Amino acid sequence: MAAGAPELAVPVAARERAVRRHRRVPLELVLPGGFLVVLTAACFLWPLVRSMPGPINGNFIPDLPALSPGHLFGTDPIGNDVFARILYGGRVSLEVGLGVSFLGTVVGGAIGAYAAFKGGIVQAVIMRVLDVFLAFPALVIALVVADNLGKNELDVIWAISFFSIPANARIARAATLRQINQPFMVAARLGGARDGWMLARHVAPNIGPQLLTFSLLGVPVVILIEAALDFLSLGVPPPNPSWGNMISTGYQYLSSDPALVIIPGAFLLVTVMCFNLVGDALRARWDLQ
Amino acid sequence: MSAADAPGPVLAPPPAGERSAGAPLLEVDGLRVTLVARGRQVHAVDGLSYRVAAGQTVAIIGESGSGKTVSSRAVMGLLPPSARVEGHVRFAGVDLVGLPERELRRRRAVDLAIVLQDPARSLDPTMRIGPQITEAIRAHLPLSRRAARERAIELLGRVRIPEPRRRYDDYPHQLSGGMRQRVVIAAALSCNPKLLIADEATTALDVTTQAQIMHLLVELQAELGMALVLISHDLGLAATYTDEVVVMYAGRTMEHAPTRELFHNVRSPYTKALLGAIPRLDRPPHDRLPVVQGRPPDLTRRMQGCPFHLRCPSAAERCAAERPPEVVDPPGHRFACFFPHGEGNLP
Amino acid sequence: MTVTGPAPARSPVATAPGEVLLAARHLVQEFPVRDRSGLRSAVVHAVSDVSFEVRAGETLGIVGETGSGKSTLARALFQAPRPKSGEVLLAGQDLVRLRGKALLGARRHLQMVFQDPFGSLDPRWRVSDLVEEPLACYRVGSKGERRRRVAEVLELVGLDPGVFGGRKPRQLSGGQAQRVAIARALALEPALVVCDEAVSSLDVLVQAQVLNLFEDLRERLGLSYLFIAHDLSLVKQVSDRVAVLYLGRLCEVGPAAAVYGRPAHPYTEGLLASIPPPDPDAGRSRTVVGVQGEPPSPIDPPSGCRFRTRCPRAEARCAAEPPELAAVDGDPDHQVACHFPLPAVPPPSTPVPSGP
Repeated sequence: MAAGAPELAVPVAARERAVRRHRRVPLELVLPGGFLVVLTAACFLWPLVRSMPGPINGNFIPDLPALSPGHLFGTDPIGNDVFARILYGGRVSLEVGLGVSFLGTVVGGAIGAYAAFKGGIVQAVIMRVLDVFLAFPALVIALVVADNLGKNELDVIWAISFFSIPANARIARAATLRQINQPFMVAARLGGARDGWMLARHVAPNIGPQLLTFSLLGVPVVILIEAALDFLSLGVPPPNPSWGNMISTGYQYLSSDPALVIIPGAFLLVTVMCFNLVGDALRARWDLQ
Repeated sequence: MSAADAPGPVLAPPPAGERSAGAPLLEVDGLRVTLVARGRQVHAVDGLSYRVAAGQTVAIIGESGSGKTVSSRAVMGLLPPSARVEGHVRFAGVDLVGLPERELRRRRAVDLAIVLQDPARSLDPTMRIGPQITEAIRAHLPLSRRAARERAIELLGRVRIPEPRRRYDDYPHQLSGGMRQRVVIAAALSCNPKLLIADEATTALDVTTQAQIMHLLVELQAELGMALVLISHDLGLAATYTDEVVVMYAGRTMEHAPTRELFHNVRSPYTKALLGAIPRLDRPPHDRLPVVQGRPPDLTRRMQGCPFHLRCPSAAERCAAERPPEVVDPPGHRFACFFPHGEGNLP
Repeated sequence: MTVTGPAPARSPVATAPGEVLLAARHLVQEFPVRDRSGLRSAVVHAVSDVSFEVRAGETLGIVGETGSGKSTLARALFQAPRPKSGEVLLAGQDLVRLRGKALLGARRHLQMVFQDPFGSLDPRWRVSDLVEEPLACYRVGSKGERRRRVAEVLELVGLDPGVFGGRKPRQLSGGQAQRVAIARALALEPALVVCDEAVSSLDVLVQAQVLNLFEDLRERLGLSYLFIAHDLSLVKQVSDRVAVLYLGRLCEVGPAAAVYGRPAHPYTEGLLASIPPPDPDAGRSRTVVGVQGEPPSPIDPPSGCRFRTRCPRAEARCAAEPPELAAVDGDPDHQVACHFPLPAVPPPSTPVPSGP
């Protein structure tokens, strides 16, 4: 019965080497990913490490141009430091973007996987209900919900989740349907596994990467919707900064001080792009497997 | 210094085929193929030589990773541009290796044809089967639409598809696996190829269907005078349907002989192991199969010695260090081994 | 070979060698489908009235081609999905009537090994977790005891637990992966292992290793197998008795020597004639194709005998009434479902068991 032993002979080491080489983190993931890490750190940690001017209350001389001493991006017409407002505003974008994605992945993923797993009438009812939400444009849903909820960050997250949860649920359901016909699912089932075990141990880990990629690709959409809600005064209310309402208020001064729109706009654009790039890179790697 | 450094095995005199019919149509000579996979070189074929004449059938037998499929792709010119092909593939006297892409494509389409394992993947599921054949015909022959259609129907009849005129308008999913493979064969025959390569063409089929398709191929070969190269893992197919057999392992030719000679006088321990490991109808139930342990070597490394030495029951130190030279004994029977089975010892 | 700790309920399976361990009685499995136009619904008659027995310590081979219903039959034994009608008696207990916990409890004595070794192992799990999974699902012993059992079964299938336990499936060869799948099936000490084309995707040399492993395990553990495959030679290699399945019906069943040596059903004979033997002299003497024609669709199987559309011996009676299994040459063990079974052949060409 020593049958297995000589099989060790050669190729496993080589294959592992190949796998490791394949796993080497590629540039198209590192660059945008790195930017996002730096941005997140700056938004959330920088104010803790170095003393920063507050984002509101207008403590400075208004309308300073960019690169003024002490004010990297200058000050706005109310006398707030734009750099500080960008960082605090970035918190809103990131919190909303990641929060909505997290909710979408976890809640939507669970709903979708459960529906696919149960099949039959359970699946039909769940999916039809979600289809109703998907039938409306995301922004319209968010507008309606945001209008009915209060105007703060948490409510914005909930509002946009009304769109992201059904979308994630659809993806999760499709991914789960693909997985439950895999032989290893049947094997686990015949090995005595029950529903809960199957969902937690086999379905979740196997649809996880796909869901994660999908929600990463969804983050920029969410950030843009949040900005749009702010712009339409349905999101984070001024004077608290968010990139969206910075653009919205800066819009009034577009001719005199375009930097007030350009700076938050540039941050919004680059962040959105980076999330897209990371999502794409992850999807490419995931497709490869 | 050792044989391993030699550019390729010395070409042996042409093995006396059981139906050696005139000049060889296809001459593969010292073929080596190096593929690039994930940045690593894979020595997929390392010295393969054989000849097929019109009307003759040669089998290339091997397990997965033996290089048998890669070698057939090399003959067809179907390898990715990153693959390095050395040696010669002479078809009707013209060396196809290094031929310009356009010229190669023309020849490939007209004179050579290949039938692959999975008929489902060779056919477009969204197209009716008839037009798929007509398209192949019209791409290479100056025929009118109507004439091409008639030819396609004739071809469907020739591969024994009942009611070819009605079947012309079927979609692939309306046909059984065996029928689909017949359609693929019909498409392959559309330009009257001189050489047909069947690359595991019956592996995915049931035994009864396999027997039908093999009979069809043999009949078509006789009708059209084609040369047939049978790529397979199945020694039974080789024994039953071929004139000559090449046994490959890890890219190398282990043994090459006329079929009867090979099965009656096995020289290579690898061929012996392969034959021994097949369950046969004439063995009693629960009989232990003679097995060799281990698995094929890593093709990303250049092998110094015999690729089978780690698993071979008759291996000695020499087998690990030195590439066994090709021996011809008796005439027409080539093998690469220091310690062969069977008659006659090494000179 | 024993699991320590809280002894699992080994209830129904304490069968002496030779007694009936598993019996399928009049199994029927049908699936609703859309027909080819996609408009009307139709029924696939996957398994129609199939009965057989597996005795303790014995291997029953089931031979069938694509569409014969052999995999459906295997799954029906596990009640996944439950058969439409019929009984599956495991040591006398009818699995078809069991529900929930009782079914789960009874089914642990029945395990399955699948065709694709990589497909049947979750790619994200480690080997040791994969082998432990059935034990964990059935809450056998403590974590430590389960780990010891995992090491034990891995050794049993010839894999060093220290080396292979931590690997992921993609770090295994095909043969190793199939050994892991076998170890998984053995972890719960089943009485019967169902092998559905379990060696068909392996290379010849590895296939021989795994076949020998099955034989070793049978001898050491007193296992019974239901060995399902399309390859007759393969089935012959491992089976005591063989059943031939065609389009959801049994054609012939009997001791391997009898079925292969003296096939009574024209389909069995045709199958045997279709195999190209690895012997250039034997193969070339034949000129007839084993079985003519195309297999009919299981959506609309032929009336009477399902093989009649391809059978050289078919007569009017074959379309009118489906043949029942009946003894061949008065041998109750060897049965054939045919109105016009083949006569016994004189034995000059009886193959001599020998090596290559």
